[in-house]
Amino acid sequence: MTSSVGVSPGPVTRTPAVRRAWQLSRLDTATTPGRLWLLLVGLVALCLAWGVLAALTAEQHASAAADVVAVSEPLSLDAEQIYQSLSDADATAASAFLSGGLEPAADRQRYNADITQAAIRIEAAGALLGSSAARTQLPGQLNQHASTAGSATGDDLAILSAGLPVYTDEVGTARADNRLGLPLGAAYLRKASALLRGTLLPAASDIYTKENGLLTSASAQATGLPLIVIAVVIGLALGYLLYRSSRWLTRRSHRRVNYGLLVAAVAFAVSLVWLAGAFAIGRAELLHAQQHGSVPAEAYARADVAALQAHADESLTLIDNSGDDSYQQDFIAQQKLLGPGPGTLLAAVEASAGNGPAAADAQAWYRAHAVLRALDDSGNHAAAVHSALAGEAAARFARLSADLSNGINADQAVFASNARGGRDAFTGLAVGMIVASLIMVAGCAWGLTRRLAEYR
Amino acid sequence: MNARSRPWLRALLPVLAASALVLGAVAAGAAPDRLSSVHASRAASTVRQAAVAACNPKASSLRPSGPPLVTPGSFMARIRARGFLIAGVDQSTYHFGFYNPLDGQIEGFDIDMIRAVAQAIFGNPNKVEYKAISDAQRIPDVSSGAVDIVAHTMTITCARLQQIDFSSVYFDAAQRVLVLKNSTARSLAALAGQKVCATTGSDSLAVIAKNGAIPVAVPYWTDCLVLLQQGDVAAISTDDSILAGLAAQDPWTMLVGPRLTDEPYGLAISKQHPDFVTFVNAVLEQLRTDGQWAASYAHWIGHPVPAPPQAHYVD
Repeated sequence: MTSSVGVSPGPVTRTPAVRRAWQLSRLDTATTPGRLWLLLVGLVALCLAWGVLAALTAEQHASAAADVVAVSEPLSLDAEQIYQSLSDADATAASAFLSGGLEPAADRQRYNADITQAAIRIEAAGALLGSSAARTQLPGQLNQHASTAGSATGDDLAILSAGLPVYTDEVGTARADNRLGLPLGAAYLRKASALLRGTLLPAASDIYTKENGLLTSASAQATGLPLIVIAVVIGLALGYLLYRSSRWLTRRSHRRVNYGLLVAAVAFAVSLVWLAGAFAIGRAELLHAQQHGSVPAEAYARADVAALQAHADESLTLIDNSGDDSYQQDFIAQQKLLGPGPGTLLAAVEASAGNGPAAADAQAWYRAHAVLRALDDSGNHAAAVHSALAGEAAARFARLSADLSNGINADQAVFASNARGGRDAFTGLAVGMIVASLIMVAGCAWGLTRRLAEYR
Repeated sequence: MNARSRPWLRALLPVLAASALVLGAVAAGAAPDRLSSVHASRAASTVRQAAVAACNPKASSLRPSGPPLVTPGSFMARIRARGFLIAGVDQSTYHFGFYNPLDGQIEGFDIDMIRAVAQAIFGNPNKVEYKAISDAQRIPDVSSGAVDIVAHTMTITCARLQQIDFSSVYFDAAQRVLVLKNSTARSLAALAGQKVCATTGSDSLAVIAKNGAIPVAVPYWTDCLVLLQQGDVAAISTDDSILAGLAAQDPWTMLVGPRLTDEPYGLAISKQHPDFVTFVNAVLEQLRTDGQWAASYAHWIGHPVPAPPQAHYVD
């Protein structure tokens, strides 16, 4: 690199006006052309700086919002789906087992669908985890958080993918033994259920908790105030500077309007309003998505899982039927957890999603369950089994289960549409900021060089 | 009013028993054949207390005085008035007491004993309400009257005789070892240092430990078979009756080794109802002689069918 045109201040490369201004400014910065020159340089630099700051701000919020929609939310949805599918498989396998050697085709299909769903979601979460390593758009701290959470989640996914075939194998053995009428089948079912509850569900729950934490921090990043406040404050300072420059020029040149500066001011106003507006809309959408979408959906999901586990307990107590009441004890524990009542999962559902039929339906199921237990305890095992499979208890549980899954689906739809709305609010924002700042630069340069030209 | 509600009477009973023993020795020649049923029952209760003092589990029950008869005012008459017998049973021990999913019934060798008792009371073996109970519930349920009788592969022991009564011995079991057919072990001693499974709280665990093997405790016997099939334990060791039920569920297992213990099974009945104990013993006498016992054995346990265990009574 010997010499370049840009670096060389040779007169050949400059227009007469600029050259003159350059000479004037070099001669004396106390003169008007000298000041004009300084103003030009300052304004151009500030406009460019604004463009960079505004674009960075836009990019950060946009990528965090995109992260909420594209990565974190699907992953925590996957974790939740894995949890629910496995809980449902547990309850369905127990119910099918209770039916005897000829298990109903519907139960079998439901169990198979649950296992397929869980397997697909485990794989999807694994794939997503791989791509989330490339989440370079996340700011440093969150990215770090994401990668540690990612590796821990990877361990849990490994537990799930290793445990699922073992679980299905044990359920299959239980089913085969049950078909032969061997009590050994119940032992395999208990073992499968213990594996599911003791190892697989905690791993799924772990993923869910971690990913939900990540979702919350991505959402906080997208809706957080500090950066946007700095940008707006700096923007307002720049606006004031533009206004003062224009006033100064008006006094000096006795021209009422400097069109160059006017263009810059308009471009600036548009960019500032756009940035603040997009942020306000995106933030509102994301907060709405959280409060009316993911929070109630999570409450519903937790209630659903407790209900499914209690339902599995109901069947397992009937299958076990050896006087050992550990599954019934667990049913009571799940019932306490589920509620309704202060501090219960159904109370959390009502707090976030409003009153629904779930509480009343849960109590109706508990009553049917109490009748079922009384039947079984008085030696009427067959009637108790009928209640659990096709009678009152079965019907009541089906209603509760439908309430809860409807709630989950509705609130997840609310989340999805609002989160997408939030993400879309940031669409094109960063590019817009850059274009606006270039227009501002051009406007300033044009307006001030025209004034400078008057001093040739 | 009964002894249960009078602690002082219970405390006095051993003293009464001792004096009865002395009296019995003095009046050895006098035959108590013509006593009324109430007196017979009292006498039986005092004689039984003597048996507890000099405990022999195989000869701890009350001698029946003929065929089973439902006498007015007896416990059997109350059961008949109720309409069904309440039996505490096992429902997971294959071939002794198990729930058969194919017909929705609880079946097995133990259950056949109960059906015979129901037959004797009602003339109908199906008038039974079965309550599936755990091992730990057996004594409390009998004592509290929650069940009339327990048929649950229950070994008559001196400790248990302190709390409840038993019928005469209806099955002679012994602790042995179940291994996979490819195992080279032929006794518990050969399994020293290896894991051997039994249920939590069973007496089998102590025998396993005594022979140098590592006891592994699980809630149910079928859980042991799962562990054996999955290769997590080398063997299962408990009563051969239970092991036979496990072997019947997996043809790739076999029973090996000598009889390590003696496990005489009895039907458990509350100490409140000595009349029911003699009644059940009379039923068992019939089963031993009329071929029903042998038929049940052949059906549930298989051939060769041994002679039924001889009934020995406390007197």
